[in-house]
Amino acid sequence: MLKAGELRAGSFNRLVIMDFGVKLAFDLLAFTSVMVLIVLGLGVVASMMGIFNFAHGEFVLLGAYTVFIFHESGLPIWAGIVAAPFVLALFGAALERSIIRRFYAAPIIAMLGTYAIGLVIRETVRGLLGGHYKSIPEPLPGVFTIGDLDFSIWRTVIVITTLVVIAASWLLLTRTSIGLQIRGSLENPALARSCGIATPRLYTLTFAFGSALAGLAGALIVPLYQLSADIGLRFLVQAFLSVMLGGVGTFEGPVLGATAVGATAAGLPWLVIPVLADPLVFVIALVIVKFRPQGFITQGRL
Amino acid sequence: MTSSKEEKSASGAPARGLSRRQLLSGASALSAAGWIAGTSGGWLLRPNWANAAGPIKMGIATDITGAIAPSGNANWQVAQFAVEQINQAGGVAGKPIELYLEDTASDPKIAVGNVRKLIQERKVDVVLGGITSAMRQAIKDPIVNRGRTLYIYPQLYEGQECTKHLYCTGPTPAQQCDELIPYIINKLGKKRFALPSANYVWPQLLNKYARKVIQANGGEVVFEEYYPLDQPEYSATIGKIKDGKVDCVFNTVIPPGLQPFVKQLYESGFQRNGGVLSCVYYDENLLNYHPAHEMEGLYSCLDYFQSVNDPFSAKLQEAYSKKFPDTKYLFTAGSASTGMYRGVKFYEAAVKQTKGDLAREAVSAAMDKGKIADGPGGGAEMVPGKMHCKMNMYVAQCKVDAGKTRYDVISKANMVDPKEC
Repeated sequence: MLKAGELRAGSFNRLVIMDFGVKLAFDLLAFTSVMVLIVLGLGVVASMMGIFNFAHGEFVLLGAYTVFIFHESGLPIWAGIVAAPFVLALFGAALERSIIRRFYAAPIIAMLGTYAIGLVIRETVRGLLGGHYKSIPEPLPGVFTIGDLDFSIWRTVIVITTLVVIAASWLLLTRTSIGLQIRGSLENPALARSCGIATPRLYTLTFAFGSALAGLAGALIVPLYQLSADIGLRFLVQAFLSVMLGGVGTFEGPVLGATAVGATAAGLPWLVIPVLADPLVFVIALVIVKFRPQGFITQGRL
Repeated sequence: MTSSKEEKSASGAPARGLSRRQLLSGASALSAAGWIAGTSGGWLLRPNWANAAGPIKMGIATDITGAIAPSGNANWQVAQFAVEQINQAGGVAGKPIELYLEDTASDPKIAVGNVRKLIQERKVDVVLGGITSAMRQAIKDPIVNRGRTLYIYPQLYEGQECTKHLYCTGPTPAQQCDELIPYIINKLGKKRFALPSANYVWPQLLNKYARKVIQANGGEVVFEEYYPLDQPEYSATIGKIKDGKVDCVFNTVIPPGLQPFVKQLYESGFQRNGGVLSCVYYDENLLNYHPAHEMEGLYSCLDYFQSVNDPFSAKLQEAYSKKFPDTKYLFTAGSASTGMYRGVKFYEAAVKQTKGDLAREAVSAAMDKGKIADGPGGGAEMVPGKMHCKMNMYVAQCKVDAGKTRYDVISKANMVDPKEC
């Protein structure tokens, strides 16, 4: 039989452990959402068009920069966050029309080309910022409290937005006529064209959609970090790792890959010293890829 | 001569509509703004008056472009500012100072070549500059050993640089820790320290010294941890801070990992629950790095804050903003600017001592006993044989008024010993 005091102590410990678990789960979920948000656009363009967009990190940067411009000119940050995907969609469409479409026949050249585009964007923004780091406050700062636990409001917004965006993108690609056309022109461009589908227009749309997702990601995450020219670069390598891990050609693959990479990157520092955690993420991912070279999801394109 | 030649070549090609000089000045303006790596030519600022006695050639090697460009440009502006004041007052021992700039481009590999240019082609009498420790390590040998030239390093740093003819004019770990940490432990009553740090040499050596001071004052280091410089996620660290009942975070995480760390720390309620955040490289440049509420209450310790109550410093700030109105490169302590000013003034004082003799041994011997009466935050005094200087140190706290951040100076320590070498 336990005495009353021991019972209380026991349940107190259980509570602490539960608190710890909930907090850890939230932290992992929040960072994973950031990862997924960034990978989504990259994954869509890679899976749907077969283009590995090395400028994706800089599209994220431009999304963040759009918010910064709004903030600087005295407009509300909310407006900047809403505008960023549209700005980036236009930018992506223009870029696809002028440059990217010349690369479809040569995916390797496409990597170099998009890398060059990214470099130009990054260094231009670095010049415009004068090399400084800029802070952009969250539209909804602070925390909300449940029990003894504090949860960051903005991270919660990011988690919810990510879930909504995943659901919406998935519905768009699998349940709408435009999604069907996109998938069709991927599967067999010649047949799609003979059915009267304007494939070049669809490629433009898809690329613009991927760019818009990058812009949204940049706009949402910039309050968590500082705006600097390298904000996208930080995530680019892990984003590519996510796509590789999840498998190219599906919509779910990169999302799953990003979830795995994000959770590992945020969770490992609890177990090993932080300097080791970073390379360890890559080691684990590479080992998985060794045994599942096609990624988590091996079926054909969506 | 040269200018008339340039005009001729410009008028020789009127169709272009852009003279070579315009093009050049445009390009250098771009490079000064951090747009392009203008590493080919270097820069020369010659005073207006005649130089019968032969000018003093002062080389500035700093990061005009690249990641540390904001600090580098501030350094270059402060050097121009200090030298202009000296030249206007008649130069040093009757000689004017000529400034030569080479961009070290935030990249030690590029820097070594450019610094060699200062030494071999320009034949400068002294080099000032370098901001990061990696940069100092890279350029000190080409300057001091192979170049046989005096070198002055202006940035606050981790200490242990005891090369002959290399003088450090920024604060050392002892100067930054000896005032701040006892203040936190004894006055604020915070005893459990966490040392989260970026993984490179400055935090490692600074922490080593800080740990000694913490323990000597009866405090305790709960954990000391190093992160990749751009780590974006710190929940594990925040967890350790909470579990370890840490009440003072002595931060040496630097951008870009800095913002997410400070934000997560704030969101965890650390400050709200009485925790103290301190960070010894925070100057006025960093006031806008975080939203105001995250900055509130932060403690820093530097050789100068703009709110320091010192008439000479106030005059200095005023003259600086007059020369560079609306500049985004501030005259602050954390960006090596105060060290740059001190370095130029120490050199001036030394050459006055030698009566215009610019030979390295002579100037170095005078530098070793150098003293400057005034400067940002007060005067400074070399500790003979140690190549480091005593200076006033200030503990300051960040306050927020209607969304605006500022530092309030809390205490001043006179002529703190660098305790190096």
